Amino acid sequence: MILEARDIRKLYGAYVALDGVSLSIREGEFVSIIGPNGAGKSTLINVLTGVLQPSGGSVRFKGKDIGGIGTVALTRLGMARSFQLVQIFPELTVLETLQAAVVSRLGRGARLFASLAGDSQVQADALEVASLFGLADKAHALARELPQGDKKLLDVASAFALRPEIILLDEPTSGVSTADKHAIMEILVGAAKRIGLRAIIQVEHDMDIVFGYSDRIIALHQGKLLADATPAEIEADARVVDMVVGRRRH
Amino acid sequence: MTANLVNILMGGVFHAAILFLVAAGLQVVFGVQKIFNLACGSFYALGAYTGVSAVGYFTAHGGPPALFIIPLALGGLAVGLVGVVVERGLLRFVYDRDETFQLLLTFALVLMLEDLIRMTWGTAPVSTGGLYLNYGQARILGATVPVYNLIVIAASLAIALGIGWLLSRTVFGRIIRAAADNREMAEALGVDMRWVYVRVFTLGTMLGTLGGALVIPATAAMSEMGIELIVEAFAVVVIGGLGSMRGAFVGALVVGILRSVAISVYPELEMLLIYLIVIAVLLWRPSGLFGAAAA
Amino acid sequence: MRTPVVLSLVGIAFLGLPVLAPAYYVTLMLPFMAYGVVLLGLNLLFGYTGLVSFGHALFIGIGAYTGAVLTTHLGVRHMELILPAAALAAAVVAAPVGALCVRYVKIYFGMLTLAFGMVFYTFLLKFYKLTGGDEGMRMLRPYLLGSEWPGFSKTAYLIGPYYYFSLAVLVLATLLMWRIVRSPFGLCLKTIRDNPLKAESLGVSVPRYRWYAFMISAVYAGAGGALLATPTGNVDPTLAYWTHSGNIVFMVLLGGFSSFFGPLLGAFAFIFLQDTVMSVFPYWRLIFGAVLAFIVIFAPGGLMGLFARGRRPVEVSRA
Repeated sequence: MILEARDIRKLYGAYVALDGVSLSIREGEFVSIIGPNGAGKSTLINVLTGVLQPSGGSVRFKGKDIGGIGTVALTRLGMARSFQLVQIFPELTVLETLQAAVVSRLGRGARLFASLAGDSQVQADALEVASLFGLADKAHALARELPQGDKKLLDVASAFALRPEIILLDEPTSGVSTADKHAIMEILVGAAKRIGLRAIIQVEHDMDIVFGYSDRIIALHQGKLLADATPAEIEADARVVDMVVGRRRH
Repeated sequence: MTANLVNILMGGVFHAAILFLVAAGLQVVFGVQKIFNLACGSFYALGAYTGVSAVGYFTAHGGPPALFIIPLALGGLAVGLVGVVVERGLLRFVYDRDETFQLLLTFALVLMLEDLIRMTWGTAPVSTGGLYLNYGQARILGATVPVYNLIVIAASLAIALGIGWLLSRTVFGRIIRAAADNREMAEALGVDMRWVYVRVFTLGTMLGTLGGALVIPATAAMSEMGIELIVEAFAVVVIGGLGSMRGAFVGALVVGILRSVAISVYPELEMLLIYLIVIAVLLWRPSGLFGAAAA
Repeated sequence: MRTPVVLSLVGIAFLGLPVLAPAYYVTLMLPFMAYGVVLLGLNLLFGYTGLVSFGHALFIGIGAYTGAVLTTHLGVRHMELILPAAALAAAVVAAPVGALCVRYVKIYFGMLTLAFGMVFYTFLLKFYKLTGGDEGMRMLRPYLLGSEWPGFSKTAYLIGPYYYFSLAVLVLATLLMWRIVRSPFGLCLKTIRDNPLKAESLGVSVPRYRWYAFMISAVYAGAGGALLATPTGNVDPTLAYWTHSGNIVFMVLLGGFSSFFGPLLGAFAFIFLQDTVMSVFPYWRLIFGAVLAFIVIFAPGGLMGLFARGRRPVEVSRA
């Protein structure tokens, strides 16, 4: 068990955003969290990534309580994330973005007078991640000049460059053309294998992606856990299909 | 003892009345245009000098000294129309820029206005002399207070009520509040933001220039008065909360009275005390006493 | 690369200036070099970390007053001691001030720094016995390299030994800053400037790095302030006044905040332009205000941005 949430409740005043959600992520799993808008997905992500302190229940990552410990601390522990709305450093190049992640992972950020260009480990690591994500030939392009699909890849790649044990992807293919979605997912899954990720959690709306890549699907509805099962079981569950998945075309 | 206390208090309230006008101008502009106008103090100085000139012209042409307050206020209001020029000529280019650049543009205005005032009126202090004594002195609980000061306090209160009425009861007020909350929404509803911005900024400028005009019979106009006042007005809006009119009112009273008390008790503390309060408020409640949640 | 060629030419010009140029222009170089040190630090905060301080004159003031107190009251005359002391004094003040200020960004950061600057200004003005009030304090001519330079008149001292001393300090400050912005630390600052949310998600502690940058910039401002005090010979509270803070931000913008050498160019242009304008027209603020307005509206990349048009356009829109 890498990540375990038990009976999570989150209240905003009188509004119940999460109502007793429990889930666990095991070694080697690719888990998707689905649910309509307002189901509590964003709140759940914020609780799982240590941004929010749950009002009740506990979240444990590698056995350690991470409720509200904050993004930086969680990164140190070995969990990374990407964002639904793509987050990049507009004025940095692809390589610089990845270097920043490597510098942070190696704890070299406070080296005031060391030469970044002369740090061969940082350089090599960043370049390796760039080629893993097919960004090597754009290594010196500014992030803000990249096409949308590459920005999305860079956001994910920089999270990978932290070499986390577990990664949480918030709609990794949102805002990307249908044609690019599968290409991005293939790159991502391939990179995860190479880097030795222990688990991937993603929140996703695109059911083709969800059913195409998940080992397990967790469905939320109105702050409650609706289902936690394999894709095949979910597809056979008329209730979940009606409330969350919708009719899929094959 | 009581007389002394009343004197200190009335001095503080008079200063607060002026500060409120300038701070209200700062607030209305920040609320709608999201620009922190460093030049509001310069507008205040501009109003002061214009007031002196208007009164001088008035009395030189045989106007009865007792009516000096009319050219004073009119001059102060009229020069506020410079706000139209500033908004159309400069500010409208930077609405979609980072706030740092907006701030620096108003700093450019501070520099320009300071020297424009020096060029026009010279560097020596100018004043309206003892004209304000025409209204005599009132005795309140044993203290002597110039009636003029009471008039200014009443005028400032009236303006505060007027702004409250404008914001809450008029169509323009509703538009201002809608624009302050959500510019895109207001635009989608067919509000011409250019129209709103130029009016709001001119209103803000006029409040500042009027404040400067009204203060001047009780003191003298100096070219540095603007850059000195801005830090006080800044203290007012931080204490009260950026963008809030009620905050400007309460903040002005706090700053005005505290300053007055500090001067009479321990002069070294004067502004130091105000800044320490500003820092305390910023750290304890960055949104101020009446502000919305801060970024 | 043209940069090394340009830098060598500038270097040669600086070395030869006291011999070739009239004394008057050489003395103008002294405030330029002092401000150069200040602005290198300020731009670490502005251009590299994305924080605009409107109270940085506070640290110039601390540096300058440290120099004055040491030379007039404590008998410490060696500039080699004064500079580190000024930098240290600035750091000691910047530690708590910065820790509080970096919790806020944008307009709130600007306001808080302005307020702290004004606290110090008022302290200098009102506590006459300690600070000399509005008259300030004398900064006695410091010893350089252990020598009093006894044979040198005031001007000869300033345009000779003191000029080269300032130049050495500026060069050293530039080299150190050059390393800082190219270090892993510098990269972390840039991530914070561009996108604090993303920086946090990569494990960069945003408040801590902002605080480091604030401290470094304060140290630079302190050293620059001490350097500035000698040619003036006197320090007074206006050094810490908020318009002084505004002026140094102006200098950075004038040169170009998104370029390493922009602030140095800005300081140079500001000092010499001010001198030129004032010699023909006493109202320099009017002209400079117009220049600043022009830069903000039409050329936010400053002079460097104008020279480098088309190479890497400056992004100044609201994120």
